[in-house]
Amino acid sequence: MKKALLPLLIIVLFYSDSVFMIFFPEQAFNGAYIPVPRFFFIGLLFMSVFFDRNTAIKYGFLFGFLFDMFYTGLLGAYFFFFPLIVYITSKLTKWLHSTLPVFLVIVLFDIALLEMMIYGLNVLVQRTALSFEQFAFVRLLAVLVLNGLFYIVFAIPLRNAFVKLKKVFD
Amino acid sequence: MPQFFTNKRLIILLGSIILLVAMIGFSLRDRDNITWPEKFVKDVTGFGQNIVSKPAGAVESFFGDIRRLRHTYEENEKLRSHLEELAQLESDVARLEKDNAELRKVLEKEKSLADYEPIQATVIARNPDRWYELITIDQGESNGIEPDMAVMTANGLVGKVQSTSKFTSTVQLLSAHDSQNRVSALIQGETTIYGLIEGYDEEKKMLQMTKIPSDSKVKKGQAVTTSGLGGVFPKGLVIGTVTEMVPDEFGLTQTALVEPAASFYDLEHVMVSKREITGVLPEEEDRQQVLVEEEGL
Repeated sequence: MKKALLPLLIIVLFYSDSVFMIFFPEQAFNGAYIPVPRFFFIGLLFMSVFFDRNTAIKYGFLFGFLFDMFYTGLLGAYFFFFPLIVYITSKLTKWLHSTLPVFLVIVLFDIALLEMMIYGLNVLVQRTALSFEQFAFVRLLAVLVLNGLFYIVFAIPLRNAFVKLKKVFD
Repeated sequence: MPQFFTNKRLIILLGSIILLVAMIGFSLRDRDNITWPEKFVKDVTGFGQNIVSKPAGAVESFFGDIRRLRHTYEENEKLRSHLEELAQLESDVARLEKDNAELRKVLEKEKSLADYEPIQATVIARNPDRWYELITIDQGESNGIEPDMAVMTANGLVGKVQSTSKFTSTVQLLSAHDSQNRVSALIQGETTIYGLIEGYDEEKKMLQMTKIPSDSKVKKGQAVTTSGLGGVFPKGLVIGTVTEMVPDEFGLTQTALVEPAASFYDLEHVMVSKREITGVLPEEEDRQQVLVEEEGL
């Protein structure tokens, strides 16, 4: 029964992005910055490190696909990038000892990577007119700040949750 | 140093890249509506989204109300002055509507492009990655919503329905960067001027209305509405007001910068307009027949 908590936690994280968007006034900072919540993605990274990498990749595929279909309509983007970055992270954490402060740097690196890949894709399919400088100032910085704050608040609860879940599954 | 990718993983990686390209190609195709597996996934995800976002939306609007409470007095004053004008306006509108209906009966043209039936909908999600300016609403095919219908708020037009599933639909806002995002519009004045709403100026926060003939005189502050030409948009939905005219690069036409009447941000409730006259073009089968007949001549 307790095993059902894992998908539940992931589903909560999945919807947390859009719930944040409901509360966050979109015209904050006069529209000069566009902070994008990546809470689900942070949860996925925690899962890959403190729970199990392969399960995280499977969840990345599944929920990336849902994200594509439900929110963006551009099939394949998150479906592909979520698992790929989870894989890269698992390789990185093998070399770097994953204490929470070190992991913050890795998470921020991953989010920057994700944003840039999605930006690249959007330029490729001509869905955006932003130049790279604009993208870096308007989006990337704001995204990193917002998600860094989320990490600082939720890192310990998330780690504990996944460590506990791992015990349940073992 | 450990090997980064083993052979098996390399194959998986390459396989997924091919899948990625194929799927992106598939979803970028110019298609009328999404396929049934997508609809199914949307309905299931939308069900969960509904459960999550309705309470969240309620909490959000509660706080919004509290914030608004501070300005109640000023608002009340303003509204009271409007109210006096409103009574007169209402009786005028009722009289004109009756006139209009009678005259239409005389002309035997009872339906017009401006008639529509509004469907109320609540916004349950906004695309959290904020690249495409898409919102999801809680009404779908089961309520009669179809792709390309106009979506508006009380203030004016905000976008059009991009895709529908049984119980949800996705709306593309006018501010989205998409070359297929076009709306036929007109500028009201002594002579009506037609153009296309196409594109959005991010910096100035203005819509661009293109293809306006270069000899047409447009004044600042003139109202822009939908023209009802082409597609299923009703006529006369407010889009905004003209703020500036700029000649286009070849000088053959002009572009008007239009300040949108409705805000594209923090949308909560929207209306989808279902136009009463929709059968502009003959059904697809009939159209083919027409072609065949023409060839036969």
